[in-house]
Amino acid sequence: MIFGFLRLAIVGFLVLSVVYLLVSWYSRSVRREWLEKRFDEGDITGERDTYVALGMLEYQQGLRRKLLILVYVIPTIVIVGIVYILNFS
Amino acid sequence: MLRTLKWSLISIVALFVIGLLHYTLPQHDVVRIVGANTQRIDLGENAWFFAAPDAGTSATVGNNRDVKFIETILASNGRPMVYRNEDTSWGWPPYFKVNSFDVQAQASDLTSTAAAPRWVVMTHYGWRNQFFTIFPNAVRLRVVDSPDVTLIPWASIIILSLLALLAFMARRMWMQFRERTIDPALEDAGEAWDAVDARADAARAQATGAWGRFVARMRGDRRPR
Repeated sequence: MIFGFLRLAIVGFLVLSVVYLLVSWYSRSVRREWLEKRFDEGDITGERDTYVALGMLEYQQGLRRKLLILVYVIPTIVIVGIVYILNFS
Repeated sequence: MLRTLKWSLISIVALFVIGLLHYTLPQHDVVRIVGANTQRIDLGENAWFFAAPDAGTSATVGNNRDVKFIETILASNGRPMVYRNEDTSWGWPPYFKVNSFDVQAQASDLTSTAAAPRWVVMTHYGWRNQFFTIFPNAVRLRVVDSPDVTLIPWASIIILSLLALLAFMARRMWMQFRERTIDPALEDAGEAWDAVDARADAARAQATGAWGRFVARMRGDRRPR
């Protein structure tokens, strides 16, 4: 029971960490592409690299990036929900 | 030949995935329970198709244990169907079932005769196979008034939709990775290759020049000054 739970917890944490890294890379890449495209439309003055770097800094501090923690939270809630519904309701 | 090989491989993988899903996803049968008992099983070739020992019990005894069984008659065709009733605990498949003893008590309570049947929707996963002595695992019992209930497999619908969404996202992520990381790298490599090519051309031209000069000198020609 305890061993099985620990195994699930450790393997689950490792798998979700890989997913987290992938999703966080993807989210950053999409944001960078969006910034580049917006600059290339041409209404923005200044250096392209500076504009993109500033936009990425904003993203780093923004809410969107913090929401990535849901990669860990949602599966945990789902597991707790399944345990409750299938066994105790 | 290569095409046949490719499609064979794809079919094998598809069959495996479909089989895995069919085994693992929850299914519903309407049944009449005729008995609930426990018997010792010495697991052999069929060990894969049994779950773990009950949550919290020792797993060190070896490949035999008491397994709870629920014997039923299917409402659809009147044929017998036997389910095992095992904890899956924290292992695979992820039903996180730890209440097999409670399910067994419920099954005993719902036992009925053909004369006065009580119909039960049995949620289960797994396969029954007489050649290997394997049984589907009962997950949940629900009493229904009549055997003619419409059962919508919500859990399977939700799980399959989520899997499709996951596959779609994985594909999008791969496309993004290709567009933003692999393609630029290939372009760089292409440019580097072009540069190497150009240098080689220049070197060859020069070498031809030197060789030409050498041959000319051997012939005793005088180079124009």
